[in-house]
Amino acid sequence: MTEVPAQLPLNIRWNDAASLEQFVAGANGRALAAVRQLVAGPGAPAVYLYGPEGVGKSHLLQAACRACGHLGLPSFYLPLASAWSPAMLDGLESMRLVALDDLQELAGDPGREEAVFHLYNRLRDTGGGLLMAATARPADLDWVLPDLASRLAWGLVERMEPLDDASLLQALRLRAERRGLDLPEETGRYLLARYPRHSHALFALLERLDRAALAEQRRLTIPFVKSVLGQR
Amino acid sequence: MDGAVWQYCLERLEGEIPDQQLNTWIRPLQAVEDASQLRLLAPNRFVLDWVREHYIARIEELVDQHGAGRARQVILDIGSSGSPATAGRKAPTSVAPQQGAGVVSSSNINPRFTFDTFVEGKSNQLARAACTQVADNPGGSYNPLFLYGGVGLGKTHLMHAIGNVMLQKNPNAKVLYLHSERFVGDMVKALQHNAINEFKRHYRSADALLIDDIQFFAGKERSQEEFFHTFNALLEGQQQVVLTCDRYPKEVDGLEERLKSRFGWGLTVAIEPPELETRVAILMSKAAQEGIDLPDEVAFFIGKRIWSNIRELEGALRRVIANAQFTGSPITVDFTKEALKDLLALQDKLVTVENIQKTVAEYFKIRVSDLLSKRRSRSITRPRQLAMALSKELTSHSLPEIGDAFGGRDHTTVLHACRKVVELRESDPRIAEDYANLLRTLTT
Repeated sequence: MTEVPAQLPLNIRWNDAASLEQFVAGANGRALAAVRQLVAGPGAPAVYLYGPEGVGKSHLLQAACRACGHLGLPSFYLPLASAWSPAMLDGLESMRLVALDDLQELAGDPGREEAVFHLYNRLRDTGGGLLMAATARPADLDWVLPDLASRLAWGLVERMEPLDDASLLQALRLRAERRGLDLPEETGRYLLARYPRHSHALFALLERLDRAALAEQRRLTIPFVKSVLGQR
Repeated sequence: MDGAVWQYCLERLEGEIPDQQLNTWIRPLQAVEDASQLRLLAPNRFVLDWVREHYIARIEELVDQHGAGRARQVILDIGSSGSPATAGRKAPTSVAPQQGAGVVSSSNINPRFTFDTFVEGKSNQLARAACTQVADNPGGSYNPLFLYGGVGLGKTHLMHAIGNVMLQKNPNAKVLYLHSERFVGDMVKALQHNAINEFKRHYRSADALLIDDIQFFAGKERSQEEFFHTFNALLEGQQQVVLTCDRYPKEVDGLEERLKSRFGWGLTVAIEPPELETRVAILMSKAAQEGIDLPDEVAFFIGKRIWSNIRELEGALRRVIANAQFTGSPITVDFTKEALKDLLALQDKLVTVENIQKTVAEYFKIRVSDLLSKRRSRSITRPRQLAMALSKELTSHSLPEIGDAFGGRDHTTVLHACRKVVELRESDPRIAEDYANLLRTLTT
C-alpha cells in the first residue's frame, strides 16, 4: 500500500482539535468525568453542562464526539446557535452520542423544543447518549415545553467554572504546543495579565501570534509578542 | 472486513476538515464495507446531502488511495447499521433492513419499569391500583385507561409496568408501547410508502397499545383520524388501550371532540405530585438501586427542597452521587448542601413561611394578621391550616418553629393542621384543588 500524503490546504492549521486527553479541567473535573462516563456507555440519561462563555463547554462536546469516533462509534455535533431545522435531528437515535451546543438558543421556540424533546425520547429508547451545553441551568431558561424542561433536569447537570490562572496558563501552553509552537511561561503570563481571560479570546490571540511567528520565523518572546499585538 | 477503509479515510479527514465540520457531517456516518464497496450510512437527508455536496469526492479519492489501484465503490445512503448502545469497537458488518413501511414490531417495553420499582404514595395510589387492575385483566372494564398528570410524576413508568406484567403472563402477547410522536411518524412513513394497510394491521393486532403523551396529537388531524379508527378497532376487539396525557383530556386544545369523549369511556385517573414522604421514599429506593446507602436525613434534605416532579428529584440525587463518587466523600447533609448549591439557590430564596402566609392570605382574600390571630372561625382556620401544612411541606422549619411563626402556637397545633389537611384533601375536592393551586403558585 502506498501512502500519498493528504493535501493540506495551507490556510488550515487545524491540529488543535479538541480532545478529552488534552482538556485542562481545573475546577471542572466533574464535568470532564461526566462526559467520559457518557462516552463510555449509557449511565445518566443525559449530561447538561452550563456555565459562562469560554469555560470549555464546546471543547468538551467536540472532544466527546472525537472520543466516540476513536471507538468507531457514530456521533453528531450541532451548535443550536447556527441555522438548523428540526429535520436535522431525524434518525439521530442511531448515534452513540448526540452533542447539542448553545442550548439556551432553543428555549422559547416551541417547534424546535418539541423536536429536541422527541430526540431525547428516541435516544432514551435506543440507549444513545445526549450531551448538552448552555449558558444557564435548565431552570433558568424560559422553556415552552415543561416536558422538555423536566427531562433536562433529570440528567446529570454540572456547572462549569472559568479556569484559574495556573490552569489557564497550562491550557494556553498546551494549545500552543499542539500547534507546534513553544510558548514560554513568561510570555504566557504576559498575555494573561494584559488580555481578556476568556479562553476563546486567548486562543484567537494565539492564532494571530502563530501566523506572525511563522511568517517572521521568530520565537514567542515578550518583545516579539509586543511588536505583534502592540504595546499594552 | 473490519472497517479498515473507513478508518483510513477518517484518520486522513481528521487532518483536513475543521473539528466542528467533522463532528457534524463526518462522524455521524456509519460505514459498512466489503471488497467491492464502502457504504456510508447517514442518519438523515441533511447529512447525506451535505456530504454528497462537500466531501464525497475527497472520500472517493481516499478510498482509491487505500485500495492502491483496486477500485471500491462509495455508496451514500440513509440508514443505520445497528444499535449504537451495543455497537462495539468493530465496524458493524450487517445492515438493518430499511424501515420501508415504517412499522417496527419490537414492543419497546422497558423491563426496569415494573410495579415493584414504582414507589407508591397517596398521590399515585389510585393510578397504581387502576394499572394493576388493567395489567391483571387487560381489555376488561377499564378500557381505555387514561392516566393524566404533570410531567415527571410516573405515568410512563406505570404504563411500562402494565406491559411488563402482560408480557410476564404471556411472553407472546403483542404489547406495543410508543410515544405519540412515533405513531404520527409511522403513519406518515406508511402513507409515503403506500403501506397504510400494513400500518393498520400492525397497530390493530396489538393485545395492548400503550401511547404516551397524547397531547402531542394536538393539531395533527390526519393522525387523529387514523388513531380514532385504531382506537375503535382495539376497543371492539377487547384489546387494551392505555393513554397518558399531561392534562385532563377535555383540556387538550386541538384534539377532536369525538376523541376526547371516547377517552372518557373507560377509566380516567390523575397522578398528583408526590408528597414529602413519597419523595423521600423515591430517593431512598433510587439510591438503593444504584447501590448507594443514602442517609435518611439526606433524603429528607433533598425531598424537602425539590417537590415539583420526580425527574428533578432524581436529577438532584444523580448530581449528589456523581459528586460523591468523584471526590470520594461520604454523603452527608453538608456535602449534599454543597453539591446542590447552584441547583437549590433559586428555590431556597423563594419559599419562606412568610411568603407562604402572604400567598395563602391573598388566595383566600384575608389578611396575614388573620392567619396569625387567635380567631377560630372556619373562614380563617382552614387557610391557617393550609398555610401550616404548606410550611411543613415546603420549608425545612421544624413544627415548633412553624408554630412560632403562626402567632406562637404549639407544635401539636401544627401537627394537627398537617394531618387535617391530608384528610381534607382526600375527602373534599375543593380543598384538594386549593392546596394544589397554592403549591403551584409557591413553587413555580
